Amino acid sequence: MIDRQSWQTAFLKQARVDWEAYQRTRQASWPECHRLLFLQMASEKLGKALLVAGHSSLEKITQTHAAFVKFVQIAGNHRKLQKALGMNKSQQRAQFKTLLPFAYKIELLAPALSQHGPNPEYPWKETSGNILAPADYPFPLIKRLRHTPQGIQLLKYIEIFLNRFEALFM
Amino acid sequence: MSQNHNLVSAAEDLIQEHFELEPSLEKVIWINSDKTAEIRLLEITPETFPAGEVLSYYFPPDDELPYATILAQITPEEWQKVLRKEISLPEGWTLENHKVYSRNLVAA
Repeated sequence: MIDRQSWQTAFLKQARVDWEAYQRTRQASWPECHRLLFLQMASEKLGKALLVAGHSSLEKITQTHAAFVKFVQIAGNHRKLQKALGMNKSQQRAQFKTLLPFAYKIELLAPALSQHGPNPEYPWKETSGNILAPADYPFPLIKRLRHTPQGIQLLKYIEIFLNRFEALFM
Repeated sequence: MSQNHNLVSAAEDLIQEHFELEPSLEKVIWINSDKTAEIRLLEITPETFPAGEVLSYYFPPDDELPYATILAQITPEEWQKVLRKEISLPEGWTLENHKVYSRNLVAA
């Protein structure tokens, strides 16, 4: 159990520094691929910080890239968050459901899940045959995250969960 | 009131609440219901994203629910794979002493 606590602390610490890097790369001078890279890494490790306190094997946890969407889905029903977010249970459930498509798009940015398509880390080949570098791709997700209510809300929640992780989840 | 009675009551309240909140929820499996310190729930819903594994998340006890809860969601197809032992359960989870809750059972 102590070992799992150490893993949880380590995942949380890394999620927080990834989030800090995401915040810094929000300046216009940074390429969009780097903003999304840090956002994807922060969200994955946030999910893993909660996952590692459960009973999934450490091997699966370190290998999986699917920790964030499940986290958002399950957190949508979690009672303790109702008070923290100032919502009743059906409002919370309904709101988290609207965030899932955005959480899924962030999760799919992991190169292992991107199915040889757009991802913020490695070049890929388009169906036309063109080879694209992440640095040259516009990533429409960035605009959706920053200019839609669901995107703004999801980013706000990631920040709240990271800042208040100990009070909410430990 | 015994501790076990309190645990059963808390677990069943939580399960009922999840059925109310999640219309697509088909079944909830209360895993190792003989455990007295925590509630392990495996929720079966076609609306979750299939991860090909059972990822279980820990939530600490609080004033309203004084038991730690460990929750996992899988699809009905993944549940069939769990039953066929093609997908393993989290460490320490077994199907001994499990209880299956359906929407009809909870509503009754």
